[in-house]
Amino acid sequence: MSDDNGVRVIKAPDTLSRKVIKGGPGAVDPAALERAEAVIAGMADSYLDWVEEDLVKIQGACDELKANKDKPKAFLDKVFGIAHDMKGQGGSFNYDLMTILGNDLCRFIESIDDMTDPDLEVIVLYIDTMKIVISQRMSGDGGEEGRKILSGLDLVFKKLTRKD
Amino acid sequence: MVDYNLERLNFLIVDDNKHMRGLVISILHALGAKNCIDAGDGADAFKELRHFPADIIICDWDMDPLDGLDFTRMVRTGSDSPNPFVPIIMLTGHTEMNRVVEARDAGVHEFLAKPISAKGLYSRIRSIIERPRPFVRAGIYFGPDRRRAISRTYMGKERRKAPEGSIPDAEELTQAEVEALLNG
Repeated sequence: MSDDNGVRVIKAPDTLSRKVIKGGPGAVDPAALERAEAVIAGMADSYLDWVEEDLVKIQGACDELKANKDKPKAFLDKVFGIAHDMKGQGGSFNYDLMTILGNDLCRFIESIDDMTDPDLEVIVLYIDTMKIVISQRMSGDGGEEGRKILSGLDLVFKKLTRKD
Repeated sequence: MVDYNLERLNFLIVDDNKHMRGLVISILHALGAKNCIDAGDGADAFKELRHFPADIIICDWDMDPLDGLDFTRMVRTGSDSPNPFVPIIMLTGHTEMNRVVEARDAGVHEFLAKPISAKGLYSRIRSIIERPRPFVRAGIYFGPDRRRAISRTYMGKERRKAPEGSIPDAEELTQAEVEALLNG
């Protein structure tokens, strides 16, 4: 079917409705969803192993960035990529602070035009804070300690970047 | 809510992070899916599609050498694409409006913001099952109809009309609509 604007609407083959069964044993009911969420929760220990690997990788990328301050683009991208992965995983395993910190670090790196020493200090600060969150096993929002960490980070961030 | 048995569906999971692939596959298995294969980037995934008849693709955005957007475009418009109609769910940590619009214009069906949950993933799968969308060829766009709800009383301009070689506008999105797309 084509209209006057050259737009063709095509009926897509509906293979899913032929293969998916409604209800019955094995269907995804609320209990199955809860079980699936429990499977994710059960992977939290594995997550801690993965994130330790990521912390080593991001520290390595940060060291490379420090050593190449005059040509930082590729190394900033590397730090960004690892932080982006960490952001995407933390919340799935109830490490919401890691998602918040990963997101904030990514946004900060995106805002850098010409990297300065204080910018680099901010990046180091975020990475160090992520290490604390994991070493202290600060799951969820980290409670009172988590709030203190985020507000302390914010203060140092403003001081370094002189943004109020 | 209708409960669906996903046992017979074939899922292709594409992510360059092996832990994310493992997480998505674990969720799908817990939801009863039996046939899940994975690929580490868009190019490998395209090769897999040649012999694996995927019913749904769950694809990350950031990958090298072929990212999720390029992969989606290849699936939709590549002359050698094994299945241009296959539904694609884009996993993304990018929640900015321009990014979401870009992915939609590449031809993805659904978005799922990271970090993911079992409920979030199932809601996107359910949406694909319950609301199959017609495909549209308009300009150089080929993919699922980007208008999720057709208004019979719409009196605005026809935004699909576009010069040859361009992608016509679909619906413009507000930030609230972008959030709704990402969060289901």
